[in-house]
Amino acid sequence: MSFQKKFALVVVVFGVLVAAWISVEFKSEEVPFISVNDLLEKHDQFTQARFRLGGNVDDGSILYSDDKLTVSFLLKQDESLLPVNFTSAEIPDLFKDGAEVIVEGAYEEGVFHADNLMTKCASRYDEEGEYQTPEMEG
Amino acid sequence: MFSVLGNAMLAMSLLFGAFGIIIVSLSLIGDNDYRFLKSGRMAFLSSSTLVVFSTIILVYELMTSNFSIIYVAKYTSIETPLLYKFTGLWAGMEGSLLFWLVIQSFFFILVILQNRKKHPRLMPWVMITMAVIQMFFLILINFYENPFDPVQKGMVVNGQGLNPLLQHWAMVLHPPALYLGFIGFSVPFAFAMAAIITKNLDAVWIQTTRRWTLMTWVLLTIAIIMGGKWAYVELGWGGYWAWDPVENASLLPWLTATAYLHSVLIQEKKNMLRLWNMILIMLTFTLTIFGTYLTRSGIVSSVHAFAATDLGIWFFGFIILIIVVNAVLLIIRRKELESKNKLESFVSRESGFLFNNMLFISMMLAVIWGTMYPIFSEAVTGFKITVGSPYFNRIMIPLGLLTLALTGIGPLLAWRKTSIRSLKRNFILPIVSALLLTAIIAVSMDLKMVYPLVSIGLMVFVSMTILSEFYRGMKARMRMTGEGMFKSLFTMIDKNRSRYGGYIVHVGIIMMFAGFTGKAFDKEADLSMMPGDIQTLSNYEITYVKQWFESPDSNPDTRSNHVAKIVKLDVKKNGKKFHIMEPEKRFYTDQNNQPHSEVAVKTTLNEDFYIVLGDVDLKTGLATMKVRINPMVTWVWLGTLVLLIGTLVSINIEEFFRRKSK
Repeated sequence: MSFQKKFALVVVVFGVLVAAWISVEFKSEEVPFISVNDLLEKHDQFTQARFRLGGNVDDGSILYSDDKLTVSFLLKQDESLLPVNFTSAEIPDLFKDGAEVIVEGAYEEGVFHADNLMTKCASRYDEEGEYQTPEMEG
Repeated sequence: MFSVLGNAMLAMSLLFGAFGIIIVSLSLIGDNDYRFLKSGRMAFLSSSTLVVFSTIILVYELMTSNFSIIYVAKYTSIETPLLYKFTGLWAGMEGSLLFWLVIQSFFFILVILQNRKKHPRLMPWVMITMAVIQMFFLILINFYENPFDPVQKGMVVNGQGLNPLLQHWAMVLHPPALYLGFIGFSVPFAFAMAAIITKNLDAVWIQTTRRWTLMTWVLLTIAIIMGGKWAYVELGWGGYWAWDPVENASLLPWLTATAYLHSVLIQEKKNMLRLWNMILIMLTFTLTIFGTYLTRSGIVSSVHAFAATDLGIWFFGFIILIIVVNAVLLIIRRKELESKNKLESFVSRESGFLFNNMLFISMMLAVIWGTMYPIFSEAVTGFKITVGSPYFNRIMIPLGLLTLALTGIGPLLAWRKTSIRSLKRNFILPIVSALLLTAIIAVSMDLKMVYPLVSIGLMVFVSMTILSEFYRGMKARMRMTGEGMFKSLFTMIDKNRSRYGGYIVHVGIIMMFAGFTGKAFDKEADLSMMPGDIQTLSNYEITYVKQWFESPDSNPDTRSNHVAKIVKLDVKKNGKKFHIMEPEKRFYTDQNNQPHSEVAVKTTLNEDFYIVLGDVDLKTGLATMKVRINPMVTWVWLGTLVLLIGTLVSINIEEFFRRKSK
């Protein structure tokens, strides 16, 4: 076998190994982004432990603990409601009644324990119709 | 009034560009009529100059707050500080497309002027390629995202103002640097296209664009890091990198471009890898367009955003067009792209560069997979499968460390084949010192984490190999010429700038790795405190002194557009006075009272002490805050600086200006 062929073989083997490795790591870290309804009804059908959910903060459902480090609220998507807990000193700036949020975490016995709470990001310019018409006269 | 002019200029630019493409193509058919080429050149110069002028008009409208233009009303207000009125140019979609276009047009002008009397065979195709890219953005701007669109009905009294998150120095510099760093690759790409079309496949197209490539690469690097710096101080989650799709979009072309920078050295030296270098620059350029598309289309947040705008379809079509044209050219020219020289050994400089390329391409694939899979999965199954930082870290940390190892090994390998003797001579000292120092650190700090230890070992190893390279080169020169130490060091660098500049860049990379490694030792705490409370994190002691409120009325100069709740914290380190820190919670009055956390950071060389105010109740004083100790972060910024210096040495920037001024 010529050296060129040997080198090509090494490249191919390396490529296959890396591809396999990437897909294994991906599989072990994947977090499905599902609907609140799917989580409530089919959570035991998923093999993954962590989920990502989107929805709105149900009006009037925000409750803070006395030290203000834990917030609980109801996540509303379509007609489904899900109680969510989140512990952090850093509640996102845009978190409030009705805010569109994404939470990531684990679901345990009816409560979603989020370790990541994101509000719709304001740094992304005006994507998805974020833009409101400027105040106009006349 | 001016905006009508700006609009007309953009339309005319499109016409000139189209005319130029046709007439330069005509010059290529038949007898290479020089007059056609000359008028084509004029057409391109005109189309590009028109873009520059129309941009100046938009900037003027932004600065003078002409709210009869939607774009101006959307991204600036009367209260917006003048500097940020200017940066409004790239705050929104329409403006940033024009900004993209104006930079490309500016480069186009430079390329035409620089090469007026050079590369007669390449230049027509270089110009056509750059003109096609320009046309694409001109079409988008003229027909879909026109920044000069007027407000349809009524009169806007005041605009919406710029998002407070974007009102930061790093956001003033990041987008221009990023765009320069993206668009600059259109120049080597255009030369590559010209080379492959005209069959001039030796290293000429690479050498003639070397400065462009290096300059573009260093700007892209700085832009990525500056984006991280901005996230670090403005977004308040305490880090500078989160594997966010938008960040990944800028990293992808950086990875292939870095691979390209290394592999072209083989083509310059041995005329090998001609096909591969062609593929790398094509890939890099495609990824810059793809990156622009990712960040601008909103596709990463949802595939539904894709169909929502025609822009997505256009970008998608353009990317497909580039890929198809490139693939066809590569196939047609596959014979001519074959190299006569062959690889001879695994342990050679050539192989080192190839392994480097394999690692960079693997990293690129891992990042693209993690970024794009959610979109594919949503399109196929209806719901997204996402991955976060853990996935990226698990792949990128080992690959990054392997790359770091190669940074040390590669430069010490000989071309063609490295002898066992020289391997021993070059590597024993670095390996031994790396093992020794790592062992000492592991024992003395009781450190058992694998990756940080490997990283420390590699940093020592690479530093030693670079040091010994400088030392050996200097010694040899001193012996040869009898010059003194410093003189021979400097003349040695001056005589071989690309090599020693490269080593300096590597030193910058090591420093950045030191910063990345520090991440493994981050500490953080969520605190809830009342005035007078004292809490500790590691060796820091935080005393909550007081809370208060400031507004435009109380501080008209510093707080013209926001109110702020502020807490004062007296921080001690190791029992000694350290710093008074005052994190803020702001509400921007010109932005519907949008809240914003102003973090307080005290930076030292070995760690940052970082506080974000969650919220404070002004009546009771109850405050929540996140406190972080981020070791070694400063080394990321310092490393970037060294990397810039190294690149400038490599480019030989002084000579460039000396020649210009003559």
